[in-house]
Amino acid sequence: MANNPMQQFTVHKIGPEIKIAGIDLSFTNSSLFMLISATTILLLLFLGSKDKKIIPNKIQLIAELFYTFVAKMISDTAGSKAKPYFPFIFSLFMFVLFCNMVGMLPYSFTVTSHIIVTLIMALFIFIAVTIIGFIKHGFKYLSIFVPSGVPSVLLPLITIIEIISYLSRPVSLSVRLFANMMAGHTMLKVFGGFVVSLGILGGWLPLSFSVALTGLEILVAFLQAYVFAILTCIYLNDALNLHH
Amino acid sequence: MKSSLSFLVALVATCTRSYAAEAGMPQLDPTYWASQAFWLIFIFTILYISISKFYLPKIKDNLDNRENKIKEDLDNASKFKEQSEAKLKEYKSILENAKKEVTKILMESKKNLDNDIQSKKVLIEKEIDSEIIKAQKEILDLKKNSISSIQNIAENIASKIIENLSGDKLNESSIKATVEDISKNNIGKYL
Repeated sequence: MANNPMQQFTVHKIGPEIKIAGIDLSFTNSSLFMLISATTILLLLFLGSKDKKIIPNKIQLIAELFYTFVAKMISDTAGSKAKPYFPFIFSLFMFVLFCNMVGMLPYSFTVTSHIIVTLIMALFIFIAVTIIGFIKHGFKYLSIFVPSGVPSVLLPLITIIEIISYLSRPVSLSVRLFANMMAGHTMLKVFGGFVVSLGILGGWLPLSFSVALTGLEILVAFLQAYVFAILTCIYLNDALNLHH
Repeated sequence: MKSSLSFLVALVATCTRSYAAEAGMPQLDPTYWASQAFWLIFIFTILYISISKFYLPKIKDNLDNRENKIKEDLDNASKFKEQSEAKLKEYKSILENAKKEVTKILMESKKNLDNDIQSKKVLIEKEIDSEIIKAQKEILDLKKNSISSIQNIAENIASKIIENLSGDKLNESSIKATVEDISKNNIGKYL
């Protein structure tokens, strides 16, 4: 079933089966591409911080650009209180970005196109942000659900809406990334299939679409990583600086 | 919470297994969910620890170093600029003073020279005057002497001429008186 556009998302195990307490934890192609992305990030950062030059070389410049980009993003959205969480958000942004980008390579696997991966990241962020909020503000953190300046008639309704929107954060965060990546890759595959089925006479139109879509997908890959990181910053901002 | 979550997962799994088989959405096939979760947490933890412990501090150090270096260099540059401006001012003032001194020295030397010339002139004039007076005296002396010697010569010549012409010796005193008389009459003509 090479023509099935969903074929590219199948997970299959590589190497021996690893079972711990009855749970299958085998090394899969998903794990492999996570490893490739993480190794690429670490290699980039290693090469980028190896020589401490006053005038940076290209790879050092790239690493420093990533650093300043994420640092600016955090200070713009969450303020100076979010500084301790900078390494986490930096790692998150780099990991999502590189998983997306590695996924753009032909024959590769897109880790972030799986709902389970994005959901775990989103749930971790959601739970961590909630815990941080309660640690910083105690039960006063619950006032995030009660916006000020709302007529008392509307207050119960608004509070319910706020609670629902708060609880749907992990879902929206994870589904946004997963759906974007899956839809883009499926579309690329569909157009690729058209190129093959229409042949040398009619295949040029879908091919040009495919080329344009590849550019778009690279943009989406960056944008979704950015959105994921910046939403994390915004949630963190809500937890750190409690005001509504 | 945990049981409800696992129930949800099981429900989704049973609901989607048939769907996944039909439409082929491998994301909803829970076979490798645990594996993906495990490897995600494992790899991300390693990534996070190595980034936060090794790489970010290094990059931060490097950025800080650069910023400090730029700041230092800028400070130094402004310092040097101030210094050079001060030096320029000093140089200008020195130049001005030198110019003033030069004009002063010029004026003084001119004055000195003038004074010197004046005094020397006076001295030389005095000397010249005294020399002139001396010379005049000498000339006068010479005149007086010459008159008496001329008279003697004239007397001698006169007596010799008379002797040669007449052969007699005339009274010397009379000759002297005559010569004197003549020379007195004519002395204004020649001297």
